[in-house]
Amino acid sequence: MRLTHNKIRAKSAAAEGQGFNPISKDLHVCMGLNSCQNKGYSGKNDCAGMGDCSTISHPCHTLNECKGQGGCGLFGTSAEFCHPSENECRYQGSCGAPILASRFIVQGPNKGTSVWQLARQRFEQKRSAEGKTFGPPPGGKFGPSSEYVNNLYKNQPPQDVSSCGQSGSRHCSYIEDKTARKVAADIRVGAMELESSQKMPNTLSNCPKNG
Amino acid sequence: MSENKLFTLLDSVTPQNFEQAMDQAIALELATVPTYLSTYYSIDRAQDQDTLYQKIYNQLKVALKNSEIDIAVLAEELKKDVLVYANQSAALIMSVVVEEMLHLALASNVRQAIVGPPELMKVAASPGFKFPTYLDGHEPEFWINLDTLNLKQLGIFLQIESPKPFTDSADFPETDEKPIKYKTIGELYNMIIQCVQTNYPGPYPKKPQLLPPTPGSPQRPYYSQNSINTVYYDRDHNPKFGSEDSSGALVDVYDAGSATQAMEEIRHQGEGNDGDKDLLKFDSQNNPVPLPVVDGKVQGLSGSGNYDSHSTDGSDEELSHFAKFMELYSLGIYYQNKFKGINGLDDFFSYFVANQQPNPKQATYDAGTSANDQEIALMNKLGNAIYTYIILMVETCYYKDESTQFQVFMYGIHKSMIWLLSDIGNAMRSYTFNASDPAKAFTPSLSFEFYDFSILGDSKKIRPKDQIINLAKDLAASNGSSSKSNWSWLYEDKAYLPSLPDVGLDHSVTANVPSIPA
Repeated sequence: MRLTHNKIRAKSAAAEGQGFNPISKDLHVCMGLNSCQNKGYSGKNDCAGMGDCSTISHPCHTLNECKGQGGCGLFGTSAEFCHPSENECRYQGSCGAPILASRFIVQGPNKGTSVWQLARQRFEQKRSAEGKTFGPPPGGKFGPSSEYVNNLYKNQPPQDVSSCGQSGSRHCSYIEDKTARKVAADIRVGAMELESSQKMPNTLSNCPKNG
Repeated sequence: MSENKLFTLLDSVTPQNFEQAMDQAIALELATVPTYLSTYYSIDRAQDQDTLYQKIYNQLKVALKNSEIDIAVLAEELKKDVLVYANQSAALIMSVVVEEMLHLALASNVRQAIVGPPELMKVAASPGFKFPTYLDGHEPEFWINLDTLNLKQLGIFLQIESPKPFTDSADFPETDEKPIKYKTIGELYNMIIQCVQTNYPGPYPKKPQLLPPTPGSPQRPYYSQNSINTVYYDRDHNPKFGSEDSSGALVDVYDAGSATQAMEEIRHQGEGNDGDKDLLKFDSQNNPVPLPVVDGKVQGLSGSGNYDSHSTDGSDEELSHFAKFMELYSLGIYYQNKFKGINGLDDFFSYFVANQQPNPKQATYDAGTSANDQEIALMNKLGNAIYTYIILMVETCYYKDESTQFQVFMYGIHKSMIWLLSDIGNAMRSYTFNASDPAKAFTPSLSFEFYDFSILGDSKKIRPKDQIINLAKDLAASNGSSSKSNWSWLYEDKAYLPSLPDVGLDHSVTANVPSIPA
């Protein structure tokens, strides 16, 4: 069955079954993007910016419940992709959450670069502009891996990286040997993370100042 | 072949037939969308690579006497051939669909500015707007089918987007009717441009159009060249983007200059540059002649080497629709021959294209008696209703202020295209129609037939959105224990059908977006 939504919805519902209520929490799209202490997915973080994962989960474009839930990167305009999770309204999100480190922007001058890093950059900018502090993200400075999120959600870890035709993720490879495949996928994501980090000043300058 | 012709027009575009000429242009753009989408939905672009590898490996193992290692290496190479080509085909076709939707809006903007709002529902409901059909006024005439990805279908795509008049292939005799004499879509637009420049200099009165974003304007996120659906990966899994960032945009049509700009953009995106003009040739069997492929790269773009290097001067100018289809056609023949040359393998396309029938019909599905056939029939009916609703929503945008346009577009058209229609179109691939009779069984696909909301709307005053929700409920109730889906999410999850804007056949709109939780 190819109804991706059903699968993602099932995961989201499972998370709700674990006591997860998306409306009751500070809403944010991923690890390291929370605004307050104990507002990460598990509610155990020390400080803003140190939440372990998103408090919301939705499959994609136009399906977010609230302001600030658009994940970004896969559907939307170049301008929207400049501001991950900064949507003003319900259903205006430009893509799914949580955002994994491997997700890249697909449109505009920043295409091919990391969505999470830009989201984190925006988060830090906002905190700094408001004179507020923030801590380092717990799952790595370039964003969460799928293993990290699966472990947190208590999902079964993926057996391999087997179907990556339309994933929007760099974490993939067509090598048949599964060990080599994972290594190649990890290297690919690592290269994108590094390149995106180096390009960040350029990425920010590509975005309209008040867009 | 006159029964499916949309219009009968005069030999030239004049102020007297300008409105009809614009309707013909709009019909052309509208007709390409289901044509290309039907092919897109036939492609499994993200299948499990290990299952595919095992299938190919097993076939090679039986047929070849090579060593285990040789077979494994070959199986991996062939697996990549399938995965990369399937994904590339889907991404490039979707990138064309997106631009055809843009063209529909551009042509509609021109019509709106000069003569009035586009009558998309009227076009879609016309008796000629049924598949198989043929491009109205195109010479030579040739059938356009809803069909799977195959070489014949790609050949038809090449003819639709041909940059140059052609006289071979399906060169049907003239009919008694006298359509506008043009031989390519671009030539029709050239005639319209000439008429606009001569007779409609502007400025035109301000009316609702789908506009591009401009500094200080309200949000207008109506057009984006790429999405994840237009991205594919090369053999090393590096992403490739179906469209370039500069490949076009909406145009505010307010005078002859801007109208010309809008129509030039349509012409250019479809047919491309002069360098492509001599690329459509036919062989003795009336099949398009493919370009050569060397090391997996299509050759032949004006001496620049690799065909997909996009340009000779290193700029980012993207391939035209014609060029994208020529690339897929040439690669398709290359891979089909490669697979044909290896003992034990199936037809190349069979590894990733569903076994669907051309030009499916709701009536066929309604007559099904096997398990799941009722569900399939309702799935298709719902798909038709959503497809028609998308057309209604686009048309409605030409009657509304920007705020309402935004609501209809963001919460209606985007959601319907990306999720609702797409989910149903893709889901149908996993069903079998007439499963109890293997000789007649096939994979169902969307029929893209006009859904007449007015039947219930007039007699019982049920608005189109409510009719769609009722269809979804019927669908959810229809599936038995053998069903592969639970369809209740369509109406129970408020992010889907409940949050669609409520658009009436009279273009009335209730946004119906629930308030933001505190």
